[in-house]
Amino acid sequence: MSEQTSKQASRVLVIGGGFSGLTTAVDAAETGAEVIVIEKNPYLGGRVSQLNKYFPKLCPPICGLEINFRRVKTNPLITLYPMSEVESISGGPGDYNVTVKVNPRYVNENCVACNACAEACPAERPNAYNFGMDTTKAAYLPFNQAFPQRYVIDSAHCKGDCGKACREACKYNAIDLGMKPETKSFKVDSVVVATGWNPYDANKLDILGFGKVKNVITNMMMERLASPTGPTGGKIVRPSDGKPVNSIAFVQCAGSRDENHLAFCSYICCMASLKQTTYIREQNPESKVRIFYIDLRTPGKYEKFYAKIKEDANVAFTKGKVANIVQAEGSDDVLVEAEDMLTGDKVKVKFDMVVLATGMEPAGASQRISGVDYSTDGFALSNPGVFSTGCSKNPMDVAKSGQDATGAVMKAIQTGQRR
Amino acid sequence: MEKKLGVYICTGCSIGDAVDVEKLGNISKNALRVPVVKSHFALCGKEGIELIKNDIKSGEVNTIIVAACSPRVKYEEFDFPGCLVERVPVRELAVWSQEPEQAQLAAEDYVKMGVIKAQKGDIPEPYMMETVKTILVIGGGITGMTAALNAANTGYQVVLVEKEDKLGGFANKLYKKVPTAPGEYSEPLIVDTDIDKTIKEVESNQNIKVYKSAKVENTEGQPGQFNVTISSNGSSENVMIGSIILAAGWRPYDATKLEHLGYGKSQDVVTNIELEEIARKGKITRPSDGKEAKKVAFIQCAGQRDPNHLSYCSAMCCTTSLKQAKYVRQNPDATAMILYKDIRTPGKLEFYYKAAQDDPGVMLTKGEVKGVSDAGNGNLYVEMEDSLLGKKVKIEADLVVLATGVVPATVDDPILNLQYRQGPGLPDLELFDGFADSNFICFQYETRRTGVYAAGAVRQPMNMAEAQEDAAGAALKAIQAAEHVAKGVAVHPRAWDMTFPDPFMQRCTSCKRCTEECPFGAIDEDEKGTPFYKPGRCRRCATCMGACPERIVSFKDYHVDMIGSMMKNISVPSDDDKPRIIVLACENDAYPAIDTTAFQHGKLDPAVRFIQLRCLGSTNLVWIADALSRGVDGMLLLGCKYGENYQCHFAKGSELANYRLGKVQETLGRLQLEAERVGMLQVAIDEYDKIPQMITDFVNRVKEIGPNPFKGF
Amino acid sequence: MAEQVINPDLNFVKDIIASGGESLKKCYQCSTCTVVCNVTPDSKPFPRKEMMYAQWGMKDKLINNPDVWLCHQCSDCTAQCPRGAKPGEVLGAVRKMTIEEYATPGFLAKMVGDSKYLLLLFALPILIFGAYALIQGHTSLGSIPRGSNGEIVYALFMPVFPYIDLTFGTVAFLAAVSFFFGIRKYWSAMGGGMSMDGNIVNSVTETVSEILSHRRFQKCNVTKERSTSHLLVFYAFAGLAITTTWAIVYLYGFHRESPYPQYDPMKILGNVSALALLLGITLVANNRLKNAEKAGKGSYFDWLFISVIYGIVITGLLSEILRLAGVAVLAYPVYFVHLVFIFFLFAYAPFSKMAHMVYRTTAMVFARHTQREG
Repeated sequence: MSEQTSKQASRVLVIGGGFSGLTTAVDAAETGAEVIVIEKNPYLGGRVSQLNKYFPKLCPPICGLEINFRRVKTNPLITLYPMSEVESISGGPGDYNVTVKVNPRYVNENCVACNACAEACPAERPNAYNFGMDTTKAAYLPFNQAFPQRYVIDSAHCKGDCGKACREACKYNAIDLGMKPETKSFKVDSVVVATGWNPYDANKLDILGFGKVKNVITNMMMERLASPTGPTGGKIVRPSDGKPVNSIAFVQCAGSRDENHLAFCSYICCMASLKQTTYIREQNPESKVRIFYIDLRTPGKYEKFYAKIKEDANVAFTKGKVANIVQAEGSDDVLVEAEDMLTGDKVKVKFDMVVLATGMEPAGASQRISGVDYSTDGFALSNPGVFSTGCSKNPMDVAKSGQDATGAVMKAIQTGQRR
Repeated sequence: MEKKLGVYICTGCSIGDAVDVEKLGNISKNALRVPVVKSHFALCGKEGIELIKNDIKSGEVNTIIVAACSPRVKYEEFDFPGCLVERVPVRELAVWSQEPEQAQLAAEDYVKMGVIKAQKGDIPEPYMMETVKTILVIGGGITGMTAALNAANTGYQVVLVEKEDKLGGFANKLYKKVPTAPGEYSEPLIVDTDIDKTIKEVESNQNIKVYKSAKVENTEGQPGQFNVTISSNGSSENVMIGSIILAAGWRPYDATKLEHLGYGKSQDVVTNIELEEIARKGKITRPSDGKEAKKVAFIQCAGQRDPNHLSYCSAMCCTTSLKQAKYVRQNPDATAMILYKDIRTPGKLEFYYKAAQDDPGVMLTKGEVKGVSDAGNGNLYVEMEDSLLGKKVKIEADLVVLATGVVPATVDDPILNLQYRQGPGLPDLELFDGFADSNFICFQYETRRTGVYAAGAVRQPMNMAEAQEDAAGAALKAIQAAEHVAKGVAVHPRAWDMTFPDPFMQRCTSCKRCTEECPFGAIDEDEKGTPFYKPGRCRRCATCMGACPERIVSFKDYHVDMIGSMMKNISVPSDDDKPRIIVLACENDAYPAIDTTAFQHGKLDPAVRFIQLRCLGSTNLVWIADALSRGVDGMLLLGCKYGENYQCHFAKGSELANYRLGKVQETLGRLQLEAERVGMLQVAIDEYDKIPQMITDFVNRVKEIGPNPFKGF
Repeated sequence: MAEQVINPDLNFVKDIIASGGESLKKCYQCSTCTVVCNVTPDSKPFPRKEMMYAQWGMKDKLINNPDVWLCHQCSDCTAQCPRGAKPGEVLGAVRKMTIEEYATPGFLAKMVGDSKYLLLLFALPILIFGAYALIQGHTSLGSIPRGSNGEIVYALFMPVFPYIDLTFGTVAFLAAVSFFFGIRKYWSAMGGGMSMDGNIVNSVTETVSEILSHRRFQKCNVTKERSTSHLLVFYAFAGLAITTTWAIVYLYGFHRESPYPQYDPMKILGNVSALALLLGITLVANNRLKNAEKAGKGSYFDWLFISVIYGIVITGLLSEILRLAGVAVLAYPVYFVHLVFIFFLFAYAPFSKMAHMVYRTTAMVFARHTQREG
């Protein structure tokens, strides 16, 4: 395709196929640029595909993704590389050479997503998409509205003869166990880094009990619990015993605004907890919610969402950070300790479940791409020709990510022009 | 183009097991007179695709009906440039979601509909018109200038309109600004705005024409062809514009409404904007006696987060007060006291908060400010309750600064002055407290006026750095719109679409329904009510096609007759206990949800047949009347959620469909049919797990009413 | 309740910062500190509110506040503080300022708290003991009388009476008077508006028993080892106090003159206590250094106190060893320095960190007495 398009077209390589990367790709291609999207997952949509709803409209993330997928599908200027990672970027504005490693999917384009391989597959794998709360077969479709709609085999969990059953079950010659990692290189004018974020590892929050105290989960796990595609089919129940959740605490700034963890504010967690409050309150009208916070950050129009939740008599707000979480004696309940700063007393309260509003760690904190500059926190920095966008640049929500990605395209396109 | 049809039936994915493919082929051949009918075990495979390609190459076919899987998959494989391609989702709708005994009839219905659709449709041709690509930027503040520079540096002509006699906007009033830092902040924490540099850059840019002391008097036409009247210093000028960036900015909230905070009662209560003016003159002094202020209290949320004033948060005041605290602290003996509800410095601005507060004389506390009173010694008391310093405290200050909020310029002025039948400004503003914001989380720049993109504080409360980023995005959208219109292609959300509404005006009765209903104000009318379609403004939702009682609006690949004819070819079982129900589904949300249900092998009631619509807003009532009068037992419309948080990508489509359904009763009454035979449900794309039950419930309701008496006529 | 007028004292803020609370202004009031603190009461816990008062320069709320002494600087708050505001260090600074506030005369407190005056403070005992030496004509090593067997006898260098005992007696008396006035002021300042219906004897007994057991230190997490090191220092001081009393009894009761034989029970107690003090203070210093990153590095005020104790114990032990070894050329100067350090400790006790034992005890009694703690 690339050899046929005109020489004036700007060539943009987008690292990351999440919300920011997709927006970048669609906006760049619809402005006439040739776009290559490198996505490390077998599917596009990134973090937002794991979300149950968006705040403040409480609408499904897949709705906007569907529109963008359709634009990707109908736009010949966009080429997708799922299961791929950028190894290095060299050169300069208008003339970058990007080396990309394409990992084997073991399922080729013949796949019709009939599920026969998964049915035949003897092995299981922990489902990272659901944060390990359930398992899938080693031959699997990441989730039911995954794009591209093509299965993948997790070779780490499908050793020895395991793949054979899949291959035999497939009527369409779609299983190719001989696939090897491939290295590709691309010449582009500019690069947009949209590598996004990872939920901060809650195991590092030693005083908040995650991993040691039962029924302490993270906010991203909550999204999966509330989602119809999640491990419980959308029913919010306690992980330890499946009991309905009648009382729940949200622990804000669990690792964010904390120099021992993430020194910055993760922007989204206040709104995320308010949103998740609606999940619980909708499912269980008797339920009681208590949100422990330092500062409630609902900037701009989000304030109105906060105001609405505040009207709910079953939702309480406590100014004071939770700094101790233990198992209540003799039960699976969780004991939470904080200072209610407006009364000036320490409180110890028991809850059925506790959600840690963990923040976003930029992808660059754990994995850096050679040729991209980073801040000490791991945020990717922009320089002429390489532009950082979305949560790899700054903690931000979906709305801001989309807006920011469009702005990144503006800069990327200009780079192409100066060639 | 003379159409040469070919039906290609895939037998894979259990289609071959559930459906009599030969019979399906024969129906296509004999009843539908399709000359080429072929089948293959894996049509999407290399061999299957070759099969089709060879027929295209040999000139046998140019209109291809693929009876296989959903159009949402295998889109690359079934892409045949130059050919009209119709995808019939036999796999999903006839096989995976149906019991085996129901598959055959369903497959026949869907293939028939596919063939009719292909017969009735044409390959789109773009709407070509003379266009210009000049970008108009309204507002010469930091947002407008940044947008202008971005567009100009990409090679576009820019016209910049500024209401003041100087560019720069609010930045001109600032003493200093917050610096930018990639991570932690260090001194200096206040830096020059450098606005003059940007102004110079704009004024010396050859691609930018600046109008100062100017105003947009009138905007006529459509993207690519806007005729904009700009008045400046008594004279006016017309310029042709491709697309528009609205960067008209903001003004501070009227502090005279904040008398309870002492504004107007004491001279020493000033707004944060007034403090900038004081700071620009040198020392921070008290207006009352000119003495240097040494105890300055900042009252956060002075009006914001208060339903009596501004119900939203202005997002930037916390950072501004931290910055202004540093102004105060230029005197080492002065203290700055910030009284807040919540300090909101999201993201990396947290680092600014940390750096700015790490100063002996910067003090912060949370609490509810109840009022400002006279301390009796020339100073003021800020009265606070529920504060961290005590339940009820008075803070003594010699100067009180109200951190007032942002009010968008669009709150009481349309600014754009559009000569549109639907009004001069952007619609929906009341949803966003007057901000020119978007209802769409995923598409922040989308307004309901095509080719108009808002940026900066007129769109949302934001700081200078954010406004600059925002300006870049809006500039790109404006460029994109100008380019798409020039190519005759739609913009978001159907950015690939080359069709356009083509009304057959001879039959127009000037009923104005289309002009009233178009969610994007794309249709104007003359004094007699005759509509004028402006394809440049059109988003191709086909709401006009649905609105038109005369059925005169059509697109090359989508028109009333096409969908009507498809419906006519749906089988209506003569058995009284086998109802037939047609479901019209929005292709953006409802259909993908149905597709997902089927993909998961969820069973859908065999009574229903699905038809995808561009948008539910394109539902024409004639379809309902026609279908019911030929014996179809019921019709269900599945569309997006509407109301305050509407999810319709065309803003009003599903809401309008529902509105029209209210009117269908009359027609049904004439036919002596029950109104309940027709219904509409709102469904989100992720509610695929609920769809089977929703449909079954509707079918049962229709069954209760009984068979359609027209059945068999 | 009357509305309180808040008028921040910027200079007080600056003083806290200068006294070792330089991280004070980083606090953003999240209350992690109060929750992780194991020694605070649950009602109106510290140190979060103290951080707020300190940030706002609200001197009255801190100087009269027994809570700053209930804090034992476990530093759990400092370790967990998300902002690096080090509440433990800040409270330490506030304690120093409390001592400065109440200790009489005030100028001495200022001098002890400020490194600029360090040499001046040492100059006083050097001059005093130097003068004593000159008065006795100790102009050369040979001019200092020896014992009957030619051994070194410090009492012959600096006779216990009148030089040592009169000097230290006076110093101790002055310190006690200073403490008395300071504590009296402090008690009444704390008492403003408080109800005091408890039994004072009970409060004192319970407090003393708690101090003797060092129970509170055991609640610390980050600085857990401090319960051992501080206990060692505490009991070593007690041992040395007993030794001193014993010596007085020997001298004035039994007219037994020093030096005493090494097997004398008093001597054994003295030596064991000295070694315990050396070990204890070494552990204290070590823990501080080890935990510096988590708990803060400590202030000048802290390290001055640690250094003085080091000075006393090292010169004390060396004096003894050099005396027994008969190295006169070193023994006398070291003993001289030993006397200077002891003077420093006693004379400046009401103004140095030494005063913490008095103020903290008072605050703890007060807290019990007012049912703040029970």
